Amino acid sequence: MKAAKMEKIVKTFYDQLEKGKIMGRRCTACGNVEFPPVFICNKCGCFETEWIELSGKATFQSLMVANGQTQKYQDLMPYGLGAVTLEEGSEVNALIGGITPENAEEYRNKLPAGCHAKIVQRDGYKTVMFEVDK
Amino acid sequence: MNTVVNQTKLHPYSRSVSIIGVGCTPFMNTVDDPETEGLTEGELFGYATMEAMQDAGVSPKDVDFYFHGQAAPMGSDYITPNIMAANWVGMKGKGSIHHSEACCTGYLALEQAVNAVASGKYNVVLSGCVEFGDAIAIPYKPACFRRKMPMNEFLETTRWIYDKAYTLGMMAGPVINFDDSAEYYARTYGLSVDEMDTVICHMALNNRYNAVHHSLAIVKEDFPEIAKKAGYENIMDYMKSDRENPKMGEYLRLLGTEIKCDGAAAVIVCPTEMASQFTDQKPIEVLGIGSACLESSNHNLEIHATREAVRQVYELTGVTPEEIDLMYINDFMIPSQLVAAEIAGYLPEGEGWKYISEGRTRFDGDRPINTNGGRTSFGHAHAASGLADLYEAVHQMRGDCGERQVKKLPKTVMLRGFGGSQNVTAAIIRTKEA
Ligand SMILES: [Zn+2]
Repeated sequence: MKAAKMEKIVKTFYDQLEKGKIMGRRCTACGNVEFPPVFICNKCGCFETEWIELSGKATFQSLMVANGQTQKYQDLMPYGLGAVTLEEGSEVNALIGGITPENAEEYRNKLPAGCHAKIVQRDGYKTVMFEVDK
Repeated sequence: MNTVVNQTKLHPYSRSVSIIGVGCTPFMNTVDDPETEGLTEGELFGYATMEAMQDAGVSPKDVDFYFHGQAAPMGSDYITPNIMAANWVGMKGKGSIHHSEACCTGYLALEQAVNAVASGKYNVVLSGCVEFGDAIAIPYKPACFRRKMPMNEFLETTRWIYDKAYTLGMMAGPVINFDDSAEYYARTYGLSVDEMDTVICHMALNNRYNAVHHSLAIVKEDFPEIAKKAGYENIMDYMKSDRENPKMGEYLRLLGTEIKCDGAAAVIVCPTEMASQFTDQKPIEVLGIGSACLESSNHNLEIHATREAVRQVYELTGVTPEEIDLMYINDFMIPSQLVAAEIAGYLPEGEGWKYISEGRTRFDGDRPINTNGGRTSFGHAHAASGLADLYEAVHQMRGDCGERQVKKLPKTVMLRGFGGSQNVTAAIIRTKEA
């Protein structure tokens, strides 16, 4: 194996976040989009995937209000936790900003509800969370 | 839910394998009691395996190979603890493998032992797990010197079970598991947050009731007594008090989570046809073990992985849910009991919460679950817990549990392993009639 063939998927993902872009990998065989990006398609097993910039549009199917231990990320409060599905079909568990104990029921009654990706600064790197659509 | 879960078809073992011996130490916080303070991992592993060997009627000379499980290295300050363990069990020079799958270690301890015998390579295999989940080793000091590990320090080490490429950074994975299965259940079957809270508290009550009847459990006092001492007449007022039983998430409360502790457990397996050479007790055949892993960024991972593991083992064995007489479920977050029992068909889908609320899943109920008290009340010596469940299952199947014997002698038992963010197994074992 040539070293040049070994693409840095993880580093590229974080480098692109610095530029404001959220990237996934699309399978060249079945079109499945992996987010967060990995290099083999989990749906069909194809070895070939390619970079795709994600729209950031998403929905969430479940909702848990942050409370107790799940309030771990104090600087990002208020947030909830949920199963997020991106417009491109990828699924990921994520923080959903803007969820409070007061408005949770309203969103719970209209699941799946809309949300959108948001790039946030952590200690020395950027990451992705989501924010409810108002 | 269209989460990608790759599937596997299991094939029959090359030869039938049975459990012929089990052992388990008390689950305890060794440093809290002068009687147990200073016990070492070699000694706990030794006591559990010695009991298993005596139970099986085998000597260390009969054992061809052994597996050793430990979830986290702080307990022993070893990454190859199997090597040291040989000294304590009369097996110097025997081959062995150490494995570590966090809270699923003890369930996969059975999987590996069975595979080793089923392959034909070995006849008698020992599999033991030991964990110091509370009293951790002090580097460079002899093994009897230990210190208590505070909960916060333990929670820090759980980072070792989460994906570092993305999941830790995206933050949801390490915390969503507190509530994920409870939220799934409440949403799917139309329970309010408060109703689900009540069901979760009932699970904790049932586990505690089972544990106080078990001499090896870490807890000795039942919740109604504790509540009374704290001034509560109504047990649910105590269980749902944010002061006495604080919320860990939106649904889960403290008493629905594990009590981490120290302990060890072990099992001996051999070809079913050889069992009578060692013991007069009926062998307990391992019919099959399903396996599925899903990392913590995946939606409802416990639901998906349990479905797949259960699907595999039912397909392989042809066993139907109606044939399962007793179930053990790794429940360090107690909603696992409910979702896993329903996925296995042990409790009716969407109705399991009623069974739990009516106490029907206690050892004296008609659908017993975790007759030892589970992780929230038997205690959670992380690696060892799976084999502690197996120990309890075997004794229930032999009918020798005395006052806490389940009503109908169980013939077929399922054990649902879970752990390490998350490795899921579903094993079916059955008493082999002569
Ligand atoms: Zn594909």
